[in-house]
Amino acid sequence: MTPEEVIQAIGSQFGEAVKASEVKGVEARMDIDRGKGYEILAGLKGMGFDYLNCLSSVDRIASGELEAVYNLSSLREATKVLVRVRVPREDPVIRSVVSLWSTADWHEREAYDLMGIHFDGHPDLRRILTSEDWVGHPLRKDYQDERLVPYEPA
Amino acid sequence: MNPPETVVTEHLQETMEEMYVNMGPQHPSTHGVLRLMLKLDGEEVTAVIPYIGYLHRCHEKIGENRTYIQIIPYTDRLDYLASMYNNFGYVLAVERLMGLQVPERAEYMRVILAELQRIASHLIWMGTFGLDLGNFTIFMYCFREREKILDLFESVSGQRLNYSFYRIGGMPMDFPMTFLTDCKAFLEWFKPRLPEYDAVMTDNIIFQKRVQGLGKLDQKTAIDYAISGPMLRASGIKWDLRRNDPYSIYDRFDFDIPVGSAGDVWDRYMVRRIEMAESVKIVEQGLRALPPGEIMGKVPKKIKPPVGDIYSRVESPRGELGFYIVSDGSEKPYRYKVRAPTFVNLSVLPVIGPGHLIADMVAILGSIDIVLGEVDR
Repeated sequence: MTPEEVIQAIGSQFGEAVKASEVKGVEARMDIDRGKGYEILAGLKGMGFDYLNCLSSVDRIASGELEAVYNLSSLREATKVLVRVRVPREDPVIRSVVSLWSTADWHEREAYDLMGIHFDGHPDLRRILTSEDWVGHPLRKDYQDERLVPYEPA
Repeated sequence: MNPPETVVTEHLQETMEEMYVNMGPQHPSTHGVLRLMLKLDGEEVTAVIPYIGYLHRCHEKIGENRTYIQIIPYTDRLDYLASMYNNFGYVLAVERLMGLQVPERAEYMRVILAELQRIASHLIWMGTFGLDLGNFTIFMYCFREREKILDLFESVSGQRLNYSFYRIGGMPMDFPMTFLTDCKAFLEWFKPRLPEYDAVMTDNIIFQKRVQGLGKLDQKTAIDYAISGPMLRASGIKWDLRRNDPYSIYDRFDFDIPVGSAGDVWDRYMVRRIEMAESVKIVEQGLRALPPGEIMGKVPKKIKPPVGDIYSRVESPRGELGFYIVSDGSEKPYRYKVRAPTFVNLSVLPVIGPGHLIADMVAILGSIDIVLGEVDR
């Protein structure tokens, strides 16, 4: 399945929910709507993208949003998929994909811990890298900690 | 002294209670600071809950506050047993983001050093794995050989562990004049050592009986958990990014990809054992084909990748090492995320661990080949 075909298949099935899409080499890239996020990712898994390489989180502070980035691939073909889902910072909730890919378990816990994205339906959403009593989410751009020494070039 | 009778009868009427036992954070077999909560029914493990993060330093936040070049020394500290490969993965990601070309000679240098690093990393794994299981001899053997690789690395980069030797766009300096002969001499010396390991470990019937059938991981679970590297190949999936998603110049080399069948600890051992011999082949081919010429490509004075993002992955000794970099066009990455192979591989432990004895947990954990610097980032 070529990246163009992936975008076409998802686009025809979900229409409006795909906000933007592009092809970059063998990678199909899509910005999708949070409401249909889980359904689109489930559809991609159904197409054979059964390997979730990475789940990253990005703080888009300029637009007041948080972003989750899913890198999908398959062990049978070269095509890769990158899916971005944006959520407002006041209500950072995304439906968990642990039921689709078990590997998302720790990735989502990490994104929750460091970026503060809540994954609805995650079986065990606890902090993973920082301690249980940590306050705040360190990877957010507006994270403040008096112990954090600002970097000043010499 | 016998306990009071009442207590004895109460005890006999009760069923055996399950209990939790902490393994780590300072347990020798965790190779760092990892805490495993084991739920035990007698001597048998019924559940495993890993607690990680003891070495967490928010590597990614540090990266966001450094320029692209300043990040390179930090990547050394991720998987500190395979620093060359972390450098490799990181500079490759930035080069792909910027569309930089790397000179031919630098590509060969990269592959030669990276494969030597793979041998060194597998050696330290094999040694400590043997140590976990009580085989002290293999530990001494492996460290003896690794020392020679570190000597080679020291002659090249001046460092023995944290090399910081790859640069965005090429390599900082050429091999020293003695490197080619030293490296060839090392390979000639190393090749006959592999049968020695077989004599001590592979052909050892006690070792075989000890690890066969332990910690089985089937293909479906492996893909579901996005397992990568030798662990995935041990489960019988022929997947190696050097072959399946070639980067640098790996498509020019002739090497085999060992796969297992049962996905148990034994298969993981065998895959790594054979991979060492395959890496030797790659280094030999690299040394033969090493072309003369430039080692640094045309790189702008200030590294400012265009606005955009990239997920770039390489096959590190432990699996798929990915870097997701978001650039906003400035000198520092807007977001810098590391997909650490052992972070993902360790997450399958609660699935493959239960059902074994405590002593076997040590073998299973050892077979995952974790490096906590990378798990905790």
